[in-house]
Amino acid sequence: MRASQINSGLDFLRDAFREASVLWWRFFDWLAVVEWRQLALTWFLAFLVCIPLNLEQVAAWYFIASFGVKVLAGGKRKAELVAKEATMQANVATLERRLMEAQMAALQAQVEPHFLFNTLALIGQLIETDPPEAARVHAHLIEYLRSTLPQMRARDGGTLGKQVELSKAYLAIMQARMKERLNVRFEVPMFLGSAPFPPMMLQTLIENSIKHGLEPKIAGGTVTVRAYVDGATLHVEVCDDGVGIDPHADDGIGLANIRERLQLLYGDKAELVIQMPPSGGACALIKLPYKMMETA
Amino acid sequence: MSNERALTAMIADDEAPMRDLLRARLAAVWPELRIVAEAANGVEAVALGEQHQPDIAFLDIRMPGMSGIEAARQLYRRSHIVFATAYDQYALDAFEQGALDYLLKPVSAERLATTCARLRDRLNKRLQAHTPAQPDIGQQLAKLTSLLENKGSPQPKNGYLRWIQAQVGSSLRMVSTREVLFFQSDEKYTRVQTAGAEFLIRKTLKELAEELDPDEFWRIHRSTLVRVDAIGEVTRDLRGRHMLKLRGHPFELEVSRNHTYLFQQM
Repeated sequence: MRASQINSGLDFLRDAFREASVLWWRFFDWLAVVEWRQLALTWFLAFLVCIPLNLEQVAAWYFIASFGVKVLAGGKRKAELVAKEATMQANVATLERRLMEAQMAALQAQVEPHFLFNTLALIGQLIETDPPEAARVHAHLIEYLRSTLPQMRARDGGTLGKQVELSKAYLAIMQARMKERLNVRFEVPMFLGSAPFPPMMLQTLIENSIKHGLEPKIAGGTVTVRAYVDGATLHVEVCDDGVGIDPHADDGIGLANIRERLQLLYGDKAELVIQMPPSGGACALIKLPYKMMETA
Repeated sequence: MSNERALTAMIADDEAPMRDLLRARLAAVWPELRIVAEAANGVEAVALGEQHQPDIAFLDIRMPGMSGIEAARQLYRRSHIVFATAYDQYALDAFEQGALDYLLKPVSAERLATTCARLRDRLNKRLQAHTPAQPDIGQQLAKLTSLLENKGSPQPKNGYLRWIQAQVGSSLRMVSTREVLFFQSDEKYTRVQTAGAEFLIRKTLKELAEELDPDEFWRIHRSTLVRVDAIGEVTRDLRGRHMLKLRGHPFELEVSRNHTYLFQQM
């Protein structure tokens, strides 16, 4: 009998303690994030209520305790809350990266095999006829492969500079194959190299330009990659003077993929615009919010 | 045999390194074969093929101007066709079935040697028998053309409209039909609505309805075509009209009485 009474008493104490601790931490969290102005207002109210009731001491204790906690632990707690929010954002980023990886896998399964095939065949042939050129193409291929695969995980993969570098390797390989039928022009100012830019979008646009614009054209042509900032918007444009776009040709998984990813990453602030300029050929333009890389 | 006439060949490939490779390999495994022409695209292949009339034409399948298969349809009566391809599984299956000669790129010396031995044998026999006529492969080539155009998909590519062309300034803006939420006729123009923008085009709704994929866009009103993927829910308003809400977008479209049957089961 007695033992059970003690037990129930202990249970009650434990519950009360748990409740108090929850309340205390809630108070603590509130203190941590509340503005000083509001806190001062509560002090004022506390004194206003307590003095007529002769409870000045309670009000004074509240004042001292809250002031102390706010000063000592407020900053740390606030940082924790900010960190929690950042973690949530990071989770969203992880999710986006996973999705992108899955999509990339699908995309690569479609694009890579014949690109690899043709490039390896080219290297094999050049080894016999032009070993220095073989070494050059081989180096470009290595560079291209190295940066396509781990870039999803690498942190610096998502800058415009990195993407341009990658595209140059790809274009160098294509030039070795298409020879004088493919000309390349880059108009990307140095200072934009550090601007954040999602991976694999530029390559997709360039591949499209070559595959649908220039390869079907007997004379070939030029791919121009241009980047500039207009207001707070980064413009990255891939233009070709190829055969243009057939209105009945499927726009393909590549462009749909870019559109989806832009939507996920930037919402309505980014867009992919496809145009056929009056001079012929096709232009694909990615617009997204321009932010300077934080120099931390 | 010393009385063999030297056979002639043409190489057609849009990539110069590939032509170099094939020429080098042929020189190694079949030194008597004379390469009389090299073409960098399908049109050139037909022109040079007619000019030089080679015994053998090595044709890459994917070439600008005209595909290797199209070129073959014009050349096969004079020249024995050998296709070269790197990866087209559909084509390979078709070659096997149609007993057409082909080379797999990159061309290995061993594989080329086997193919060449077979070719030399057959062509010489044919020359000696004075039957220059080749087996008629025209029908197989025609089949191959349609097969490759459809890329082996069970349903033939039906040529539905995939891009809407809207004049924006001096440029032609290409709006993918995947971006379009709905089309609505508006006086003499048609309004094209995407998630973030709206364009006016001159193409009438009637023309659009005929050219678009009927599984991609449904007509829900005399003046409205809506993207099927974007359809959210259909409700009735106070006046008894059926109103269609788009998923994730703030648009509401009226469904006319004779199109409500589309949503009976929804």
